[in-house]
Amino acid sequence: MSGWPLVAAATVAQRHPAIIAVAVLYFVGVAVIATWATRRTHSAADYFAAGKGVGIVTLAVAAMASTLSGFAFIGGPGLVYSVGIGAVFIVLSAAVTNTMGAWVLAKRLRLLRETRGLFTIPDAIGARFSSPAAQGLAAVAMLVAIVGYMATNFLALGLVIDALFNTGLAAGVWIAMLVTLSYTLTGGMLAGVYTDLFEGVVKTVASVTVFWFVLRTGGGMTGISRAIMAVDARFLGPWGTMTAQSALSLFFVFGLGSLGQPHVLHKFYMLRDPRRLKWYPLIMSVVMTMTLLLFVGVGLAVRALVAQGRLAPLARPDDATAAFVLGFTPSVVAGLVFAGVIAAGMSTVNAFMNIGAAALTHDLPIAFGRRVHDELRWGRRWTLVLSVIAAAVAQWSGTLVAFLGIFGFGLFAATLVPSLAIGLNWKGATREGAIASIATGLTLTLVIETLVYARVLSLPGGVSTSGLSLVLSVLVFFGVSWLTRARAAGQLAADVAMVMDV
Amino acid sequence: MITRFALAAFVTSCLAVAGAYALAFLPGGAPVWSAWGVAVGGPGALAAIMLLGAARAGRVRLVVGAAIGLTFVVLAGAFALALLLPAAEGPGGPLWLGLPLRTAVVLYGVGITPLFFLPVAYAVSFDADTLTDADLARVRAAAVSRVA
Repeated sequence: MSGWPLVAAATVAQRHPAIIAVAVLYFVGVAVIATWATRRTHSAADYFAAGKGVGIVTLAVAAMASTLSGFAFIGGPGLVYSVGIGAVFIVLSAAVTNTMGAWVLAKRLRLLRETRGLFTIPDAIGARFSSPAAQGLAAVAMLVAIVGYMATNFLALGLVIDALFNTGLAAGVWIAMLVTLSYTLTGGMLAGVYTDLFEGVVKTVASVTVFWFVLRTGGGMTGISRAIMAVDARFLGPWGTMTAQSALSLFFVFGLGSLGQPHVLHKFYMLRDPRRLKWYPLIMSVVMTMTLLLFVGVGLAVRALVAQGRLAPLARPDDATAAFVLGFTPSVVAGLVFAGVIAAGMSTVNAFMNIGAAALTHDLPIAFGRRVHDELRWGRRWTLVLSVIAAAVAQWSGTLVAFLGIFGFGLFAATLVPSLAIGLNWKGATREGAIASIATGLTLTLVIETLVYARVLSLPGGVSTSGLSLVLSVLVFFGVSWLTRARAAGQLAADVAMVMDV
Repeated sequence: MITRFALAAFVTSCLAVAGAYALAFLPGGAPVWSAWGVAVGGPGALAAIMLLGAARAGRVRLVVGAAIGLTFVVLAGAFALALLLPAAEGPGGPLWLGLPLRTAVVLYGVGITPLFFLPVAYAVSFDADTLTDADLARVRAAAVSRVA
């Protein structure tokens, strides 16, 4: 998610007091939840995995909130405005991925918590392959992506806070960091998961409301389509202005890659009663589809409004959401969307703070054969350190922050999907295969993204770094596992094998 | 049996995607037909890994197998139709539920249709196949004995 230049900071605050009021109410809501959760956080299990757990509705809505970052409200609609239907392929697999995640990972991760008391995603990889090295390598890969993701979201939050309260960008970044840090540091994942629930509801209500205004403003989908087709036939084609292979590649990466997103997957550990997983795909799919209406609708509506001459062409695609809600919805709805954007960023950052701290406090020490005695205290310290680093990167790294934010999803996918999603469902997988695939995903993503960023390398149309790294890490996983297949049985602990059999 | 089939289908799907990527590196870029590798490989990979996750003791219940198979048919079929149908997105082109036909097939077919049967198949089969009370008791007993 990038800038918000359309929203001239001072004028927004002066012309739309209702927006400020909704944003302030949102922050009050977060503060109340944080205070409640803080009183209930007493141990590392409380801090990293929400203690005794949460119900299925809370889990599903919180997982949706963590899945959809600010990109779903700003960058996504901007991309739809820019390249048309092709951008929708990023979220097109959502009708499938929630059920897929439930079948492939939810039950196994939740049962591993029963048998082993696990609370991190690298924990599961370590347990599956009886390998502290695989666990540590997965933690390193996650940390690389986490700092970038956090910095990108802090920058986005800083821009919105600056736009709303005229704080200046730097102050906005640090305010965003401090607010998110305050409830994460004190209330840990318990605060995180319940603020995620609150934020998820805000996002869903905002999205559905804005979509209603999209249809009303554009004359329904037919009116929107007719307006766009009159000026640009390709925009509303099935691939938009992209090639078919580029759009389909997005579907593949974001579909399969959803099985490697640790900030979403680790929430499965938190479910109080594993039998309630029965309803997870249904609830998650419904709320996610509702929340994605804004992603799809706003970009199309703004393109139609521009085609009809009712709105000036945007200077930057990322202005699409702001331009629509400020120009075509009441101030209260605009405030809800701004709150939704803040909610999206904070819920994602909160999850990353938590899993990043867990990687440093728990997974990396295990990789080196050590255990931290007071994981709660060290978890809080590492949360603070990670947050400060990410905020500093957001403030001072310039364009580097956008670069860091780009490869987060792909890096998670390429490093975690093979060893986690396939590893927990195939007894023939080996430790060597897991380590080789994580190393392949990490190296390829970093090297190719860096070369592309530095303009040393240019990938051909229809090929993305994320897609290439993901597919190669999967093939390396199978190839190395096959070569070392004689060792597979000896690397699988009896209790983990039982969980895989269930 | 199902596990082997799912693994083979998953690897084949990933190879199809890898093949499409490899073709893009040819001089002159990817040929138009290379998109078929991703159009079939993407849905194939998702369906195959779902089958792998849903299988128990190498088998899946009929309703689950049918739902996953239908998912592949709907996804790959929608992408295939979008690739095969002639473009008609110009001014005055026909609309279906407010969208040009090819786009409607993709958005409603891939983005909406699986919502009506996939989560339902999961819920319907959950108690009997995915996680029974006996399964949970067995896992919890193993946890206790591990601690002991």
